[in-house]
Amino acid sequence: MSLLTKQSRRRTVGERNRPLWLLTPGAVLITLIILVPLVIGIYIAMLQLDQYSIRKWVSAPFIGLENFVEAFTSTDLVHAFGNTVSYAVIATVITIPIGVFAALATQNPFRGRGVVRALFLIPYVLPSFVVGTFWRTMLQPDGVVNQMLLGAGLPAGEWLTGPSSYWVLILVEAWTAWPFIYLMALSGLQSVDQEVHEASAIDGALWWTKLWHVIFPYLRGPVALACLLATLNHMNNFSLAFLLFGAPSPFDVQILPTLVYSMSFTSLRFGMGAAMALISLVLIALPLFFYLRAVKLDTGEDAGDKK
Amino acid sequence: MNITRRRVLSLAATLATTALFATGCAPGTAGGSGGTLRVLIGANAKYGDKYKTWQRDVAEKFKQSTGADLEFETYAAASDELTTIQTSVVSGQGPDVYHIGSTFTPTAYSTGAFVKFDAAQWEKVGGRDRFVPASLGISGPDLDNEVGVPFTSRPYVLAYNTEIFEKAGLGKPADTWDGLLAQAKKLTDGDTYGFATGYADNFSPWKFIWTLANQLGNTIVDGTVVRVDDPAVQSAYETYFGWLSKDQVINPAAAGWNDAQAAVDFAAGKSAMMLMTTVNATPTFEEGAIKGKYAFATMPTVAPGQTAPAVDGRDVTSIISGDNLAIADYSQKKDLAAEYVKLVTSEEEQLKYNKLFGDLPTNAAAAKKVQDSLPSLAPLLASAEKSKSTPFTGAWGDIQLALTNIVVQSRQDLAKGGVSESALKSALEKAQQESQASLNRATGTK
Repeated sequence: MSLLTKQSRRRTVGERNRPLWLLTPGAVLITLIILVPLVIGIYIAMLQLDQYSIRKWVSAPFIGLENFVEAFTSTDLVHAFGNTVSYAVIATVITIPIGVFAALATQNPFRGRGVVRALFLIPYVLPSFVVGTFWRTMLQPDGVVNQMLLGAGLPAGEWLTGPSSYWVLILVEAWTAWPFIYLMALSGLQSVDQEVHEASAIDGALWWTKLWHVIFPYLRGPVALACLLATLNHMNNFSLAFLLFGAPSPFDVQILPTLVYSMSFTSLRFGMGAAMALISLVLIALPLFFYLRAVKLDTGEDAGDKK
Repeated sequence: MNITRRRVLSLAATLATTALFATGCAPGTAGGSGGTLRVLIGANAKYGDKYKTWQRDVAEKFKQSTGADLEFETYAAASDELTTIQTSVVSGQGPDVYHIGSTFTPTAYSTGAFVKFDAAQWEKVGGRDRFVPASLGISGPDLDNEVGVPFTSRPYVLAYNTEIFEKAGLGKPADTWDGLLAQAKKLTDGDTYGFATGYADNFSPWKFIWTLANQLGNTIVDGTVVRVDDPAVQSAYETYFGWLSKDQVINPAAAGWNDAQAAVDFAAGKSAMMLMTTVNATPTFEEGAIKGKYAFATMPTVAPGQTAPAVDGRDVTSIISGDNLAIADYSQKKDLAAEYVKLVTSEEEQLKYNKLFGDLPTNAAAAKKVQDSLPSLAPLLASAEKSKSTPFTGAWGDIQLALTNIVVQSRQDLAKGGVSESALKSALEKAQQESQASLNRATGTK
């Protein structure tokens, strides 16, 4: 209620008199829950903070940028960064057509549509722990997957170690994440007016011209947003890789979350772990900035309305 | 235009308030009440209800003798335990007594957050001489700096299928690695394999390497020097990998198994021996086809390629394995904490714990009784006596990780036929550098 009255009043008051102080509670909270920890994180990244100094962490030796230098020069950070970004992008690219197609297929009512839509969501709502454990069991050297391959006369593979582990991570991640794209695409489809369908039918558009020129523009906004969120989710997904491959994970599937985890919680080098986390934050934020510009998701206007 | 943004803000605000309320009610602030001792202990999934009953019983007895309440907090995984220790160490409040894994003791010690035991302190918990001497090996770096009180012992042994051994006309497992391998080869037939172990386990691989290297005279850490890049360690890896790739006495699928899976395989009667196992695996064995048809034996102490009995110091059967108790330095109830330690390491309680969960007593009198009454556990007690402490340094966690990582990165080659010498050598070199760097930090900041 109060939100509505505030809004209508603001339109009548000049820009200069906007009651910005109303944002104070939010600003305080953001300072407390985001800015303060971030600053502490940056400070910790410049400390030689480990199991020997954690007891009196404030007086841990200050070593400036040494952690950052070491992260770049003598750890697998760069390798893990490459893996993380490429796997996240590939997983997103794979899920887009699947998600969009699934949304289109369940757009028109048919018998049992509710059931199908519910089924589609299963991979997305299953806990990571369950997904990871199941796939790990199936992909064992003597697991179901290899038995099926052998049964079909194909060679069995080593799925959880070596180069193929990278593709296994992508596939399992895609399997879990495609319903998110599907949901977002579905919401885009819901916003297409019935009149638009009728108009294009009157104009005699073929189904694929209609799809390409009429429907897809509606989907652009929601799907672009979905891509962004999905990619970020993939990058941050620690549990799946951890459950599938453990820590330390095979070199081919070393990604940032598991690397930071190993550094902080098995090697107990908290300062180093914080430095690595900050570096990955910056490395990921840069492309993100350009992406936001490119798809105009940061203008605050509803991108879905643009045609 | 700003509606969505404002909504996000208000959502964030709601979340933040909830979070603030949630942390306000965190256990850290609630535990201060007068007569309650807080004990952090690992969860026990295999014996859930029994474990709860044991906790209730102990709490009752504790109340009777001291008048204070006892509150158990459980952790599900080692990482949870670590998190609790970290936050407690930084904030100076938390559990008063910690049950910690034996190999984790050096790491806990390196934080400097636990009470060091001098003669008077030992007296408070019933005296240092009430314990099996070997179990004290990982209590501290030296006699003056002990922080861990032995609570249970779970030494590593091998389990063997007595039926398969009898059928093949073999008496019991050999006491040299060469002899054991010969038996394993004889017992490998079709679907049945000689050994079972998990190459993809997070822990057992480094235990093999450590044990075999020690039997060859390399203790991995020598003062301030790490000796991973060393012929003895290389030979240990070659033996360990060779069982699967060269000798073929292990199911090739074991390249992807963890120890739980290997135990299931052994329990199903599909392998003649399970290496590097302990009394913890008993429930798995008892549920399997081998119920009543298996026995424990100590693992060989004579290194591969050797026949003469191992010299003193090299006749290692196992790492010192089990749980230690440590009292937090920040605790306001150190005397109550000592009372708890005294209670659970008493002869009576130790015998009860052994009966309930199978873990061996560290109390010498209780251990003697178990030895006399349960001959099936004799090999475990024998192994406990010949257990040796892993190097007592805060760097051990890293070194252990580096040793495991070599196996993790080699599994692909292992499954494809074998790990080449050149690949192994370069892996050892890398592990050496990482381990030495970690040891340098440990010795530099002591």
